[in-house]
Amino acid sequence: MRSARYIGYLFILPYLTFLGLFLAFPLGFAVWMSFYDYFFAAPGAQVERPFVGLGNYHDLLLRDETFRTTLGNIFVFIAVNVPLTVALALVLAAALNARLPGQMFFRTSYYLPYVTASVAVVAVWGYLFFSEGLVNHILGNLAPHPSWLVNEFWAMIVIALLVTWKQLGYYVLLYLAALQSIPRHLYEAADVDGAGALGKFWNVTVPGLRPVTMLVVILSTIIGANLFTEPYLLTNGGGPVNQTLSPILYMYQIGIEQADAGYAAAIGVTMAIVVLAIAAAQRFVLERE
Amino acid sequence: MPHPEDLRQCESNQKGDWVMKRTYLLLICLAIAAVLSACGGGGGSSDAVTATGPIKIWYSDNAQEITWGKATVKAWNQDHPKEKVTGQEIPAGETSEAVIQAAITAGNAPCLVWNVAPAAVPQFQRAGGLVPLDSFEGGVKYARERTGDRVDQYFSPDGKLYQLPWKSNPVMIIYNKKLFEEAGLDPENPELATYDEFRQSAETLNSELGIAPIWPSADQTFFQAWFDYYPTFIAATGGDQLVENGKAQFDSGTGLDVGEFWRSMYEAGLIPQESPQVDAFAEEKSAMNIAGPWAVAVYTDLDWDVVPVPTPDGKSPEDIYTFSDAKNVSIFSACKNQKTAFEYMKFATSEENDRKFLEMTGQMPLREGLEEEYADFFEENPLYAKFAEQASRTVEVPNVENSVQMWQRFRNAYSESVIFGKEPVDKAFAAAAKDIEELVKGHGR
Amino acid sequence: MTTVAKSPATPAGRRRAFGSVAGFLALCFGAFLFVFPFYYMVVGALQAEPDVSISGAFPPPGELSLTNFHTINERVPLLRALFNSVVYTGGVILGTLIIGILAGYALSRLRWRGRSLVLNLVLLTLIIPFQLLMIPMYVLIVRGWGLADSYLGMILPFLVNSTAVFIFRQFFMQLPEDMLDAARIDGASELRILTQIVLPLSKPAILTAALITFIGPWNEFLWPFLVTKKAEMQPLAVALANYISSVAASTANPFGAILAGAVVLAVPAVVLFVIFQRYFVESETSTSLKE
Repeated sequence: MRSARYIGYLFILPYLTFLGLFLAFPLGFAVWMSFYDYFFAAPGAQVERPFVGLGNYHDLLLRDETFRTTLGNIFVFIAVNVPLTVALALVLAAALNARLPGQMFFRTSYYLPYVTASVAVVAVWGYLFFSEGLVNHILGNLAPHPSWLVNEFWAMIVIALLVTWKQLGYYVLLYLAALQSIPRHLYEAADVDGAGALGKFWNVTVPGLRPVTMLVVILSTIIGANLFTEPYLLTNGGGPVNQTLSPILYMYQIGIEQADAGYAAAIGVTMAIVVLAIAAAQRFVLERE
Repeated sequence: MPHPEDLRQCESNQKGDWVMKRTYLLLICLAIAAVLSACGGGGGSSDAVTATGPIKIWYSDNAQEITWGKATVKAWNQDHPKEKVTGQEIPAGETSEAVIQAAITAGNAPCLVWNVAPAAVPQFQRAGGLVPLDSFEGGVKYARERTGDRVDQYFSPDGKLYQLPWKSNPVMIIYNKKLFEEAGLDPENPELATYDEFRQSAETLNSELGIAPIWPSADQTFFQAWFDYYPTFIAATGGDQLVENGKAQFDSGTGLDVGEFWRSMYEAGLIPQESPQVDAFAEEKSAMNIAGPWAVAVYTDLDWDVVPVPTPDGKSPEDIYTFSDAKNVSIFSACKNQKTAFEYMKFATSEENDRKFLEMTGQMPLREGLEEEYADFFEENPLYAKFAEQASRTVEVPNVENSVQMWQRFRNAYSESVIFGKEPVDKAFAAAAKDIEELVKGHGR
Repeated sequence: MTTVAKSPATPAGRRRAFGSVAGFLALCFGAFLFVFPFYYMVVGALQAEPDVSISGAFPPPGELSLTNFHTINERVPLLRALFNSVVYTGGVILGTLIIGILAGYALSRLRWRGRSLVLNLVLLTLIIPFQLLMIPMYVLIVRGWGLADSYLGMILPFLVNSTAVFIFRQFFMQLPEDMLDAARIDGASELRILTQIVLPLSKPAILTAALITFIGPWNEFLWPFLVTKKAEMQPLAVALANYISSVAASTANPFGAILAGAVVLAVPAVVLFVIFQRYFVESETSTSLKE
């Protein structure tokens, strides 16, 4: 009985140590860096790193056009990805739940992209969508000019579709789990009222899944805001006129390729705050309804 | 009714408090220890400058350079068993500059890197990663004797020399003779000297053969401008750098003309707005390429020749300057045996080893009097001879603060206005010039 | 969920039957779209010359060859890279299972102060982008602790997967308290309860957590790239990413070579999932993730 108390601390200690070393410390350091004109130097080198207070943030928010472009880009991404994810995951989960034949096959195929490495997936999408790829062959004259990945309008949308495709399995499973908890009698009542499959879907399933929908929206927004891998691998550095440059990719370019660690840290901290704010706002709005 | 759990909670509260405090205290200690250990680690002491012993070096990932590098290392090791050199290819990465910067930060950079881009030297130097040649007796003198007065382009703003100018790949236009003939153009004396002539030829190639006359990369990486805009800019201005004395040189007069020249070709659809997925020149998807002598070893299957880059009104070839595309060698501060590094550096850039380098890779050592010194080689290899002739008239990137950011900013403006035509060239260049002048003053962004 | 039975002959039944058929067809089409890129990946990897026409997507078996695999193997030692991936991923899974199970148990079944604080901290790990933490972590691990070019250096930042901690917590929360209490009354220590009672019952959760944890380091190409300079230490995802960005353009069939690498990277994950997906799907449906 007494042992239960400090056993808890003992059990959680390794995990807390991990969090302290690899979350708290780097985060704290990153925040600290963002207030300096910070760059990494050779060990032992004496370099000047002047304190600039909010200087980095000032430059970022008020004078950096590229950053604004990235915010616009990520907005486009989220606007395509989140509704599509919610709609598709919901419908798919409902369909998969209906005990149709070949269920295992379907579940496997929808989950497949999620377990596959982004590097591998991006390779084949690049092959499908480049200017002479299969997609353009199929579309013939309908293919956009310039081609998808260098097209100002379509580039980010292609990436949004890619990520939606890749992540869908995860959200389908969230919905599948929640579908179990919708009371059976609601469906039976709807049957008695003569509702068809569509009617039941709209009036029973969708409202019953509202809490999970909220979770899906928040999760996919957070993950979307931190988009990095797909733009980095597929269009590397934002494609034409930075049309696919995401904020985190921009941060990476500045921090690693241009060795400007302080400014990069400011970007990262800003994004973390923005994401937290959006998540909180979403939760507030969705809980109200 | 109080829940039994709550009662238990009351009992164990005090002990729990103490354990909890102890746990968090432990965590804080761990965090501090971790931070302290991270901040520790001294750098190379000043004794390193005179120390001798085994060293590590990195070559580039070019196949011929690796062959030369290994042979040179072997020759050295035979005579210097106590100062063994271990060489490896530079680790792969997005850009070699990022890889080197990471190594500097980690404190595990090698002693010498035979692939240092002059544009990155200000950044490495600012991070305290480089050892200037001034630290060694006769260091700067050696560089000046070998390269001549062109070495002045490579000094840093603080007056020290942090890199040894090693080799260059003077950028010229190479053209596919067979394709030119098919299009009805003269393969022996092609008309590519003035902008008008160049555009004419380009249009003919495109309409007759349906391919791109020339296909530079449309990528946004900071160094791409070195292979389209910058060489032509240098040629048109007779040797100006992008920025001189803190003032941008590209946003007026000739600089704009050069931009408009490239713009006209993109606008006419002669150059695709996408980067080629393969080597366009090798696959004959383009009739020309803008390249250095490295091309000789690569395009062995094609019949091609070389001319200087075009200028607005045509200059005689002896007056045309171009971009050097130089790569240099630097000694890194993480090196423990810097004297050996210095000696090896001199050994590998001696007349004899420069010759071997030239023969194995075809790239031009940044050596004064190159043509005379290796005249026999150039007699046997006329293609190389043309590059060698050009090699005495090369211009480097400006050695300024925030050099990499400067080139990135320029490339963004170039891409937006010239490649994609979203903005008029003069407006885009003017905005870039303003930002760049701030950057080179050393002000963040 | 069993639907209330109504014979297909009635209007409502026919509507339902039609709905089912239409739904089934839509599901098939969707599944086809989902799986097609994988099929195309394999096809592209096995074609010596890229054939981007529509018929090229369905080549006769006689035209397939392994050239691309040889091409990429020349620059990227596939087996060695695969081995590195296995060690890296294995280390992370091991760390997650050990530390994560302890943490999950502590967060769900043990009472101690600060529990909800830690729970919120775990949520935070999902929000902070890894790239922000990457550079300070690099300084800590490579410079501070000298772990460059080592498996430990690759593994450490990923040692415990927070989603797995969540999974364990959710799963353990469902165990009946009386069962554990009975053991406690009998004088068993928490550790014994965990290992001898809870763990044997937790196979689905362990498998799910392992599978989810697997995905992270197997796909990770940024961090190991920073930490390893020697090509022979790099996991396959890193080697492939580097290959795509630097080397591929100089080969004869860049797409083919890249896809060959992609196939080698994707196959183990897919195979593992197909084998274990039964446990995966089942346990996911029985642990609904609530915030």
